[in-house]
Amino acid sequence: MEIAFWILSAITVIGAILAITMRNLVHCVLSLILFFLGIAGHYLLLRADFLFAVQVLIYIGAVAVLILFAIMLTRHVTGTEGPREVLGGKWWAGMGTAVIIAGLLWAIIRKDPLAAMLPAGMASTSVTEIGRALVADWLVPFEAMGVLLTAALIGAVVIALEEVIRKR
Amino acid sequence: MDQVYKVAPQLLKFLSYLLGWLPWIGKPVAGFLSNPPAWFLLAVAIAIPILFVVSVFPGIFAYTTLVERKALGRIQNRIGPNRVGRWGLLQPIADGVKLLTKEDIVPRSADKFVHFLAPVIAVIPSVLLFSVVPVGAGLVPVDLNIGILFAFAISTASVLALFMGGWASRNKFSLLGAMRAVAQVVSYEVPMVLAAVAVVMAAGSLSTLAIAKAQGGGILNVTHWFVFRPWGFVGFILFTIGAMAESARTPFDIPEAESEIIAGYHTEYSGFKFALFQLGEYLASIAMAGITVTMFLGGYNGPGSGPGILGGLISMFWFFAKLGGMIVLTIWIRGTWPRVRVDQLMSFAWKVLLPMSIVNIVAVGMWHYIAIRPIAWVVTTLWLVLWFITLSKLAASENIEKREYRYAS
Repeated sequence: MEIAFWILSAITVIGAILAITMRNLVHCVLSLILFFLGIAGHYLLLRADFLFAVQVLIYIGAVAVLILFAIMLTRHVTGTEGPREVLGGKWWAGMGTAVIIAGLLWAIIRKDPLAAMLPAGMASTSVTEIGRALVADWLVPFEAMGVLLTAALIGAVVIALEEVIRKR
Repeated sequence: MDQVYKVAPQLLKFLSYLLGWLPWIGKPVAGFLSNPPAWFLLAVAIAIPILFVVSVFPGIFAYTTLVERKALGRIQNRIGPNRVGRWGLLQPIADGVKLLTKEDIVPRSADKFVHFLAPVIAVIPSVLLFSVVPVGAGLVPVDLNIGILFAFAISTASVLALFMGGWASRNKFSLLGAMRAVAQVVSYEVPMVLAAVAVVMAAGSLSTLAIAKAQGGGILNVTHWFVFRPWGFVGFILFTIGAMAESARTPFDIPEAESEIIAGYHTEYSGFKFALFQLGEYLASIAMAGITVTMFLGGYNGPGSGPGILGGLISMFWFFAKLGGMIVLTIWIRGTWPRVRVDQLMSFAWKVLLPMSIVNIVAVGMWHYIAIRPIAWVVTTLWLVLWFITLSKLAASENIEKREYRYAS
């Protein structure tokens, strides 16, 4: 378990670093996929097999493919290696944000309010339990999310349609 | 896995009996095998399903190519391969030797690393798919409780290989093929997953083994197959179309349309890398056929299938018979249907398949809550037929304009 954790962590970190330092845009996306795969492996290690499948399905199958598709619709489709500054002029702002977020996360995890909320032992993450929780305990938030996402979808279509009408 | 775990010690005993006569090493090896330590037993139990998947399904792939060439030949009024061995039976081996010994050419401007990685990634998800396909009663390499979801998650990764191959070749035809592949897979994934949701609702589980088990019983183990339900029949057709589009089989082979873009994403591949692309594509197609059989055609259920050694063998026979039937069906469709246009492909996916799969989910709900079976039959059939007529009318009612070409006349 320990070895698997370190290997997966190495994959995740290397993928993340490559994703921001590669010169070629498509290489960046492929590194991002490596990062997503590492995260999926971590879910599997935590016995959250449903989250693993969803991570692969949504992030690799949909998000990464969508990014690739978006790149293909631009002029950078051949992955021309333009000048890119990894460390821009305001690098200290990014570093500061990273440090603050890391500190916050550390403070939260140290007190561990989540562990107090959970029942003793490993929480069940099976599909059956998640399904029951979604349509029984959390029905209203679940439905609200569904309505919200549908509204966003319709909004995207309306915005795209306006452009089509304007072109004519 | 559990069943394999039970079989493994007996297999080892048999092996020790076979090896016992060997001089020098015979005695100690036989002693080790007849009383194996726990870790060795586990390793053998893990190795058996892996060896099964890695040996049987590529074999099926090799002879699928022969059957396909023969059948396509007959459909096109040709004879097909008949020079190597009787009826061309050794043709796949000859093809393999030829592909292995061919020169491997990489274009000078290609992205070397991604170009090399693409065929490797093309095979991995296709082989992983077989880990959740039950080939007999209780015989599945891994009985995941998220089996179907796992299969869909893994199969989406195959599109990455197509994109990487097409993009890294630095060839405009390859790139066009890659773009077409991504657009096609993204559109057809949605109706395919929604068609599977209907089956998951009816079986009450995501595990492939539980779905196959739910279709047992009835007259001769046949009448409870999901394909003999109104929603199952519709779902079977939706899923088969989606699976064919996902693995880019011929009516939907626009990513590698020979007459338009040479060979699409694998234009710049030769030798063994090309063979890997073919292997990945055919294995994915066979695995999808296996999942279709499991979800709609009763899986391993058939007359005589059941627990025990004899029942298990009969159930394996039924599974592989149905798998062969599905493979022949795809070849038949390939030989008789013309390739669809890109815009036809997209409008068909979003305007017919997607609404129909959502309607099908509602039909399963009705089927579940109407307790009296004859009424459920009539209501769900009427619901599905009416929606099908409405959707096909809506899709067909677009007035067809004369096409305007920007760069051609």
